[in-house]
Amino acid sequence: MNHLLIAPILLPLVTACLLLLVGDRKHRSQAALGGLALLANLGVAVLLLAQALGGGANAYGIYLPSNWEAPFGIVLVLDRLSALMLVVAAVVALAALVFSLARWDKAGAHFHVLFQVQVMGINGAFLTGDLFNLFVFFEVMLAASYGLLLHGSGPSRVKAGLHYVTINLVASSLFLVGASMIYGVTGTLNFADLAAKIPLIPAGDRPLLHAACAVLAVAFLAKAAMWPLNFWLVPAYAGASAPSGAVFALLTKVGVYVLLRLSTLWFSPQAGDSAGFGGAWLLWGGAATLAFGALGMLVSQRPARLAGFAVIVSSGTLLAMVGLARPEVTAGALYYLPASTFAVAAFFLIAELMDRSRQSDAQSRRAPEDEEDHLPFALADQELDEDTNLDDQEEALIGRPIPAATAQLGLAFIACTLLVAGLPPLSGFVGKVFMLSALVQGAGAVAWTLLALVVLSGLFALVALSRVGIRFFWAPVDRGAPVLRVAEFLPVALLVVLCCAYTVYAEPVMRYTRATAADLYAPGGYVQAVLDARPLPTATNAERLGLPLPPGAGGATR
Amino acid sequence: MQAPLVLLVALPFIGSLVAAVLPANARNTESTVAGLVALVCAVQAALYFPEMAAGSVVYQRFDWIPSLGLDFTLRMDGFAWMFSMLVLGIGSLVVLYARYYMSPADPVPRFFSFLLAFMGSMSGVVLSGNLIQIVLFWELTSLFSFLLIGYWHHRRDARRGARMALTVTGAGGLCLLAGVLVLGHIVGSTDLEAVLAAGERVRAHALYPVALVLVLLGAFTKSAQFPFHFWLPHAMAAPTPVSAYLHSATMVKAGVFLLARLWPVLAGTDEWFWIVTLTGLATLLIGGFSAIFQNDLKGVLAYSTISHLGLITTLLGLNSPLAAVAAVFHILNHATFKASLFMAVGIVDHETGTRDIQRLSGLWRYMPITATLTMVAGAAMAGVPLLNGFISKEMFFSEAVFVTAAPWFEHLLPVVAVVAGAFSVAYSLRFTVDVFFGPDTCAALPRQPHEPPHWMRVPIELLVLVCLLVGTLPQWSVGQVLGVAATPVVGGTLPAFDLAVWHGFNVPLQMSLVAMALGVAIYLLLRRPMAVGQFVRPPLLGRFSGNTAFRRVLAQLTAASRTLLRVLGTQRLQPQVLMLMLVTLAAALTPLWLTLGAPVQWMGERPTLTFSPMFALLWTVGIGAAIGTAWQAKYHRLTALALMSVAGLTTVITFAWFSAPDLALTQLSVEAVTTVLFVLGLRWLPKRIEKPDHRRTPRALLAARARRSRDLLVALAAGAGMAVLSYAVMTRNFPQSISPFFLERAVPEGGGTNVVNVMLVDFRGFDTLGEITVLGVVALTVYALLRRFRPARESMGLPPQQREQEAGPPGFDADLVSAQAGTDIARGYLLVPAVLVRLLLPVAAVIAVYLFMRGHNLPGGGFVAGLVLSTAFIVQYIVSGTQWVEAHMNLAPPRWIATGLLTATGTGAGAFFFGYPFLTTHVAHVTLPWVGEVHVASALFYDIGVFTLVVGATLLILTALGHQAVRGRRQPVRPPAAQEGAT
Amino acid sequence: MEIVLALAIGALTTCGVWLMLRPRTYQVIMGLSLLSYGVNLFIFSMGRLAVDLEPVLVPGQPVTLAYNADPMPQALVLTAIVIGFAMTALFLVVLLAQRGFFGNDHVDGQGDDE
Repeated sequence: MNHLLIAPILLPLVTACLLLLVGDRKHRSQAALGGLALLANLGVAVLLLAQALGGGANAYGIYLPSNWEAPFGIVLVLDRLSALMLVVAAVVALAALVFSLARWDKAGAHFHVLFQVQVMGINGAFLTGDLFNLFVFFEVMLAASYGLLLHGSGPSRVKAGLHYVTINLVASSLFLVGASMIYGVTGTLNFADLAAKIPLIPAGDRPLLHAACAVLAVAFLAKAAMWPLNFWLVPAYAGASAPSGAVFALLTKVGVYVLLRLSTLWFSPQAGDSAGFGGAWLLWGGAATLAFGALGMLVSQRPARLAGFAVIVSSGTLLAMVGLARPEVTAGALYYLPASTFAVAAFFLIAELMDRSRQSDAQSRRAPEDEEDHLPFALADQELDEDTNLDDQEEALIGRPIPAATAQLGLAFIACTLLVAGLPPLSGFVGKVFMLSALVQGAGAVAWTLLALVVLSGLFALVALSRVGIRFFWAPVDRGAPVLRVAEFLPVALLVVLCCAYTVYAEPVMRYTRATAADLYAPGGYVQAVLDARPLPTATNAERLGLPLPPGAGGATR
Repeated sequence: MQAPLVLLVALPFIGSLVAAVLPANARNTESTVAGLVALVCAVQAALYFPEMAAGSVVYQRFDWIPSLGLDFTLRMDGFAWMFSMLVLGIGSLVVLYARYYMSPADPVPRFFSFLLAFMGSMSGVVLSGNLIQIVLFWELTSLFSFLLIGYWHHRRDARRGARMALTVTGAGGLCLLAGVLVLGHIVGSTDLEAVLAAGERVRAHALYPVALVLVLLGAFTKSAQFPFHFWLPHAMAAPTPVSAYLHSATMVKAGVFLLARLWPVLAGTDEWFWIVTLTGLATLLIGGFSAIFQNDLKGVLAYSTISHLGLITTLLGLNSPLAAVAAVFHILNHATFKASLFMAVGIVDHETGTRDIQRLSGLWRYMPITATLTMVAGAAMAGVPLLNGFISKEMFFSEAVFVTAAPWFEHLLPVVAVVAGAFSVAYSLRFTVDVFFGPDTCAALPRQPHEPPHWMRVPIELLVLVCLLVGTLPQWSVGQVLGVAATPVVGGTLPAFDLAVWHGFNVPLQMSLVAMALGVAIYLLLRRPMAVGQFVRPPLLGRFSGNTAFRRVLAQLTAASRTLLRVLGTQRLQPQVLMLMLVTLAAALTPLWLTLGAPVQWMGERPTLTFSPMFALLWTVGIGAAIGTAWQAKYHRLTALALMSVAGLTTVITFAWFSAPDLALTQLSVEAVTTVLFVLGLRWLPKRIEKPDHRRTPRALLAARARRSRDLLVALAAGAGMAVLSYAVMTRNFPQSISPFFLERAVPEGGGTNVVNVMLVDFRGFDTLGEITVLGVVALTVYALLRRFRPARESMGLPPQQREQEAGPPGFDADLVSAQAGTDIARGYLLVPAVLVRLLLPVAAVIAVYLFMRGHNLPGGGFVAGLVLSTAFIVQYIVSGTQWVEAHMNLAPPRWIATGLLTATGTGAGAFFFGYPFLTTHVAHVTLPWVGEVHVASALFYDIGVFTLVVGATLLILTALGHQAVRGRRQPVRPPAAQEGAT
Repeated sequence: MEIVLALAIGALTTCGVWLMLRPRTYQVIMGLSLLSYGVNLFIFSMGRLAVDLEPVLVPGQPVTLAYNADPMPQALVLTAIVIGFAMTALFLVVLLAQRGFFGNDHVDGQGDDE
């Protein structure tokens, strides 16, 4: 059995324990340890991706903790989708951690420990193939995210935290209700086993099953920030410290991932009466979310809040595309997912830098962060008065030099704008083209609505971002250059460069996502791989399994 | 030799990168680099002429995303060739000009780097062999034009103009993207070749109108067609070289380029005819008319550009090949004379310091050469014979006369043409005569005007020379080029046309004579009122200001979405929870109502247990307690807490009742700890003073009642749902479940008779690992948050009980918080309990060990044991006070947590050494002296890990809360600022 | 018997949800606790009810669900209890911090009495 498969969970966990023993006083060693762990985590993720890339027989990696076969024991499954998500998560986490080393990790206790556990929770959620184990990893993820959100304390964070915690606790209860009820109706909790059993359950029980699945789905939708369950998101994400915000960009993707995974597994065309259950909800909910996010971007002025709404836009797009349940579209969405995640994460980091440089200049008329969005657009509108200046007596026709730091920040901001608004030439555009060209193939009212929504959201994003950009980089002429630490700019640059590479090598990625989508919509392979996996023979289970006991395992007996 | 096509696109971008990194004051190096890049590209492009003349098409392909039909394809035919010549040729002239225009103090690296990048994107647009690729470069031109227009970003009008241009053209680009996707859907490919070949199919397709409108939106916004024309005048805030480049030859021409490019595909239908022609005509008139009334030299040029673009659009709209040829020809001519005029204005501006026509006058004396050049170019703009503008205008007029359409249109078009011609004459006159002749007002100018440095004028001279050549010897000079360029546009078969200055005294000639006369008349008529500044803005159109419209639209859009957002969203918690509940109810009810034919039977066939009154009684109490909690939670917290624990105990008993002792045990201990926790917390939660209802207005009361009843309904619905669902499931027969397996394998393979515990440490041990991780992380979070804890002001002081202790009789000083610190009074009346609980500690420890050891075979286990021990510890804190405990025993909870987790994980990882997966249980047979052989299961160590972590986590949470009591006493509250700053 | 438990679950959920919808943080935390009782019982009930079964395996007795309690839901409930405990503790502390920062115990930090 390939032990590498459980590394993404154990590595951060052990690191967290070690960090706890090291103690907060030794900042340098903590930073080094945490950074190395995440680097290793990225390496592992890439290795796993390479393994999944092979396809064919070893497209599915199965790991049986406690050495019990499915459906009795818990099972970890690695397939193309989870491998992709692992890599995305690893990249974002690494970038966020590097960023935090500049200052944030000292803003409160146990930052590094919480961060590692956060990573562990996310990885676990991507890997597990068992419904209740998924719940456990959700809780790990959430517990850590509470810690990271409250990291640094302060009124706005505590308030946002209270809301965030409350909503998520309710969502967790829903998760429990749904999961246990699914167990009550089908008698199993294993994804694959459920996929096999759902077509067979008696018609009388099916409504109950569907109700259970619906309740479960609500829990995931709250996490994936579907309208109208996403009002907590922007205050929480914008209120959190920048690195936390960047990592939180992943949490919504976890929700999307689970919805995609379970809907394709359980409600596949082979699922009899349950086929395609809930697709319409996802589709229209996603569309509504997309619209909501676009509107939100248009009215926000604080970069961090813009980033928050960008998260909503991206998950709205994904939900809608997943709801369509068409392989080609899903492939497009899967291409779009990493690009938008990287972009939003980078945006959270930039937003922090911009906000800071803004606080530094004295004459900026600045509202308290919460109300700011309800004020009229100060600079954006004031400056549109009718004067044209014909004489250079009014204002000299000589450009003002832009400090290097500001220029770098500005370039990064432009890149993020292109990515978030889906403008060429970066991956946001390619992803959009991929999704939309797949969309128009099945031309119809739905397709046109989505197309219009996606295009419009791009426009709104462009308007909002250009406004903010002008306001920060052009309007205040004599503002000193922001202090840009390497540790802070490096991750941003890294993410942007990554997106560029992602654009250039779009073809192989698309081949991968197409294969992934094909797997998802033909769940037979997944189910068989999981149910056929056998534990290693031990002295106690050998005769049950009818397998010969390997000589090496003599000493180790149950 | 010929360089590959890609050079024409790539080289400018490379140059842009080089230019960006040069030092800020390197004006000469910058311009040399840029100039060389542009020149090399121009020459390379020119070298392609032979192939073009032979009518062949040159390709260069790179794989990019073949699976999306999106390769990086470069394709050059005659039309693309002509355009790249314009882009690169005029580009090199502009660079030369800019070298002298930009002040030495300007940070030119930014300027030249953006300029080159723009050049690259523009040649990318014209050379793209794939529609999506065109969109890609298209948006790039929008982006870089934005950066160029905003180059002087310290000026308001620059920022405004840049943003306007970006928004309008960017929006158009997105429409174009949609249109291209639709086209691609119709044709089945976005490859230009395929699309051009599929004209018939496209025009016949049902989606043709959609595609057409979307594409046209893109083109019209880009080339400033009415009603999107307003951004162009505001873009004049750019440095003049930029205007000379963007608004004569490149940016705005991209729109008409696209129209001409797709002419074989989209043109030829009525939709095309009416939309394009009418838009073009409207733009032509409005542009020309407004141009007359501008006082800003660049303003005149901007509006005249708009009107000439309108002219080109009209020609393309007429659905006649000859008109298309004329359009191509006019693209060429307009580029030449408009570029030279912009540069001339730049010179005037540069030398005099102003662009205000009303201040400028009689410049002829100071800059005769510039004046001559300007006047020639201006004449070309006005369409004076023997200049290139004249010939293309003649072609337009003849088209206008011989157009075949609805009769009213056939009559209208010539008139419009003549009027537009008159306008162009009028504003050209004003542009030249007012500036260069008339009284000498130079004393009042910001600078003393004189001729510019010679090299600054060279570009203009060259361009004007072209104007003259084309104007006098059209066939010889440009005939072949025009043929080459126009052939692809009209779809391969070039209509017969002859470029000649003299066609005889025919209708078009008469029309242009009329137009000129009319134009002179208009000029003379308006001269005086304009001089006294009667028209601040063009009459009639004065009401419509694109700028204000744009502003209003954006503002209203924002306001609308803000209100919409306020309706669709909320920042308050209660509505969010309510929404979550409602969505859940809806989601759960829908499948139950639409029950796929078979109605749900709520009562299953499983035989129910015999009813027990005791149990019913138990739960009447439990339910009562729950309701009491709900009732009291607002004002009587302690009562609510007590009632809640009653409900909790009922749950405990229920677990025991249904033969689940493990659950009962765990729930019980959790109850205990939770209660302690709440009690510690309540210390920091000041009393709520009950507000009698009569204080509140009746409306408020009513509203409150309404809210309450609504919430009650929702709550009841939720409760009913849970009850019904659980009942429906409970009364059903159990499906083929996985549970029997656990029962069967627990002993032989799990090695324990307490199946639940075996599940926790073996079957589902992985869950337990996550679970304890959660516990540990939460404990750490609690600790971190409490470190920054700022207690409520009201609860800062000592609680009343302690206060009266302190204010007790003399000699009676107690310190309950640290019993030991008080002289000895605490020993006095707390002595007995203190001693007792100290005795309790070892007892508790023994119980914990007992519960722990039996765990694997009987109810119990690491978790319960951990809770018991930590409870014992916490009792010490409560009775003996924090200081005493921490003075006497050194507990470091975080270490416990880390150790526990490591132990658990390590145990699990131990399996690796035997080659088994994580957490595989192993039993070692150890023979100890005197004891004999004992079985040591790895599950035991795993449970030790759980135990340790639970102790650590629980202690950390409770002590962190307990410490507040000490801290609250010792140090006063710090102001929030200090709170923030502290790390 | 089942009906009683079902009613109990319903009642606990109702009180819990109603409290969750209240504006005071303390009400909300009480609601969360009650809700978690309800949910735990719900999970437990998913394994169907049985009385007088052996919680632990007794030698010589057939190991089937007819004689032994279903361990699966119990394991789930145990995990749920632990996590619920942790979350209650966390919420309590956040609640206290909020009270400290905002000077009132409204979930939004400000607002009218409801």
